[in-house]
Amino acid sequence: MPIITTHNLSKVYNPDTVPVHALRDVNLEFEEGEFTTVRGPSGSGKTTLLNMIGGLDIPTEGHVEIAGTRITGMKESKLIEFRLNNIGFVFQAYNLIPVFTAYENVTFIMLLQKRSKQEMKERAHELLSAMGLKDKLDSRPKELSGGEQQRVAVARALASRPKFILADEPTANLDTDSAMNLLDMMEKMNREENVTFIFSTHDQRVIDRARRVITMVDGAIDKDERKSPPS
Amino acid sequence: MKMLLSIAWRNIWRHPGRSGVLIGSIVAGLWAGIMVSSWGNGLIDQRMNNVINEELTHAQIHHPEFLTEREPRMFIEPFDEITSFLESDSRVKSFSPRTLLDGMVQSSATTSGARIIGIDKNRERETTIFHQNLVQGEYLSDDVRHPVFIGEKLQNKLNVEIGERIVLTFQNLENEITSGAFIVSGIFRTGQTIYDEQTVYVKNEDLGELIADQPVYHEIAMMLHDSELSDQIVSDLNREFNNISAETWLELSPEMRYMTQFSGTYMVYIMIVILFALAFGILNTMTMAIFERTKELGMLMAIGMNKVRIFVMIMLESVMLTLTGAAFGMFVGYLTVNYFNKNGLDLTAVGGDSFEIWGYGALVYPYVTPQEYFYVTLLVIATAMLAAVYPALKALKLVPGEVVRD
Repeated sequence: MPIITTHNLSKVYNPDTVPVHALRDVNLEFEEGEFTTVRGPSGSGKTTLLNMIGGLDIPTEGHVEIAGTRITGMKESKLIEFRLNNIGFVFQAYNLIPVFTAYENVTFIMLLQKRSKQEMKERAHELLSAMGLKDKLDSRPKELSGGEQQRVAVARALASRPKFILADEPTANLDTDSAMNLLDMMEKMNREENVTFIFSTHDQRVIDRARRVITMVDGAIDKDERKSPPS
Repeated sequence: MKMLLSIAWRNIWRHPGRSGVLIGSIVAGLWAGIMVSSWGNGLIDQRMNNVINEELTHAQIHHPEFLTEREPRMFIEPFDEITSFLESDSRVKSFSPRTLLDGMVQSSATTSGARIIGIDKNRERETTIFHQNLVQGEYLSDDVRHPVFIGEKLQNKLNVEIGERIVLTFQNLENEITSGAFIVSGIFRTGQTIYDEQTVYVKNEDLGELIADQPVYHEIAMMLHDSELSDQIVSDLNREFNNISAETWLELSPEMRYMTQFSGTYMVYIMIVILFALAFGILNTMTMAIFERTKELGMLMAIGMNKVRIFVMIMLESVMLTLTGAAFGMFVGYLTVNYFNKNGLDLTAVGGDSFEIWGYGALVYPYVTPQEYFYVTLLVIATAMLAAVYPALKALKLVPGEVVRD
C-alpha cells in the first residue's frame, strides 16, 4: 500500500483574475522508504506539489491520501495534528526557532506531541549525534553554519517519527560540502531507519543521489524515473 | 504551557532595545500613575483626618433643624440628659458641646463675616486637636476676660494683634442683634484659607451671657474609641432622644462621603487613562513582532503547532512583556511611595501651598493600598491581553503554505 497517493491533483492560483495553473492533474504514488526527488525549473509546481502532499495548501481539484487517510478537506485543527504526527518538514531557509538551541529545536516538536521527558532527551541526543552535531546541542541557530542549521532542521523533522519527510530545496542555500554532508545524513537515515524522503530541487547533486526522480514541467508530471538500488 | 512560557519569554528578548523601550515606558507610566494616585490618597486621607480630628469628630448631635436653619434658638435639649448618656457610654472617648452663631467681627480697621464657635476649652482640647493650630498667643487664655481665638488670615484682614479688642455681633435667642467685645488671645492657622479667614473661637460661657444669660449648645461633637462605631452610637442616640438629630461624620460632611467613595476608585481611573495610552505602544510592538515573524509562525503551524497554542503564545508574550514593565513600575512606585509615606512629600517648592485654599496641606503622606496594587495588576493584564488580540488574530490568519513558500 503506498504511503502517499495523489489523485488528479490540480491547483489554480488566482482563478478569478489571472489564473495560474500550478498543478495539472497530478497522480502519484509514493512507497515507504523512497528517496525521491521532484525536479523541474522554477515555477514548474514542485513546491506546490510538496505543499499539497504536506497539507499546507488546498488543491483546487483532486485529493491527497496519506497512509489511507484522506487529508484534503480535513478540518484545519485535525490537519495540524495530522501533520504533527505524520509529516516532517525541511525548508529551504531552515526555519529553526531562533530563540531555541539546537537541542530545544529538536525537542520542541516532541513537546507538541507530549512525549515523555526521557524519550525527548534520548531522541534529541540520538538524532543530533547522528547529524554530527553532538557538540552543538546548546548552540542557537545564529551560532551555527547554514549546513549545521539544515542538519538541525532534518533532526527536528525526524524527531516526531513522521511517516515521511518533505524537503523543499534543502540544499539551495548550502555550499557543496555542506550539501553533500546533509545528503549523506539523509541517505543514512533513509537506509538505516527506512525514513521516506521527498525532495523538491533543481540541484543536480540531490538529483544524482535520488533513487526516484519525478520531473515536472508547467505543473504536470513530465517524467517519473526510478533508478535501480545501489548494489 | 511551560514550553509556551519559555518561547514567549525568549521571544520578548529577541529585540532587547525595542522591548526595553516599551518596558521603560510601562515603568514610567505606572510609576507616575502610582505617584499621582498615592498623592491623591494622601491628600484625601489628610483632609479626612484634619476634618475629623480638628473639628468634625466622629459624630455630632444637633437640634433636628439646626443644620439647615442655623437659628440660635435651635439649641440642644435635654442637654443634661444627653451629656449624662454620653458620659456613661463606653464607646464615647470624649465630647465637646459647642455654641454656634453666624455673625460679624469688627476691628478698628474693618468688618468681616464670621462663624462664631463657643467652646469649653478643656472639653474641646480633649475632643479635637484644634488647639494644635495655635501659632501665636494663647488658646482662649484664662487670664483675659472674653478671650477670642482667631485665624491668621482674619487677623491680617482685621489688622489686629494679640491683646487687642474686636467686637462680635450676632443674634440672640430672641432674634435681636447683640454685640460683645472680645480680646484677641491667640492666633491659629489650619492651612485652610477660608476657615482661617472666617472662624473665631470663644468660650461658650461668654457667648451664653450674651445670647440667653445662660450657656446654650447647638452642637455636641464626640470622638469615639473606634470610628466604625459611629453608625451604632448615632442610631442609639436617635432612638433614645426624640428632639435631636445625631449624625455620623459621613452624614455630616457630603464632601467627606464623596472623598471616601472616590478614594477607592481614584487610582483605577488614573491607571485606565495611563494604560489606555500604553496599550497603543504594546499593540505597536506586538504587531511589529508578528509581522517580522510571519515565516516562523507559518513554520510553527506547518510542523504542527495548533492555532490555540499560537494564540496563547502571542498573548503570553504581550502579558509577560507588560507585566515585566508593570512589576518594575510598581516596585519603583512602591519604594517611592514608601519613602514619601515615611518622610512626607512637600510640594511647597512647586506651589503646593496653594492647596491650602482648598483645605489641603502642601505636605502630604502618600500611600497605596494592597487592593489598589491588585487592581492595577488586573488592569495591566487586561490591557496587555486586549492590546495583543489584534496581532494574535493577524497571526492566526496566516496560511502556512503561503508563508513558507514566500
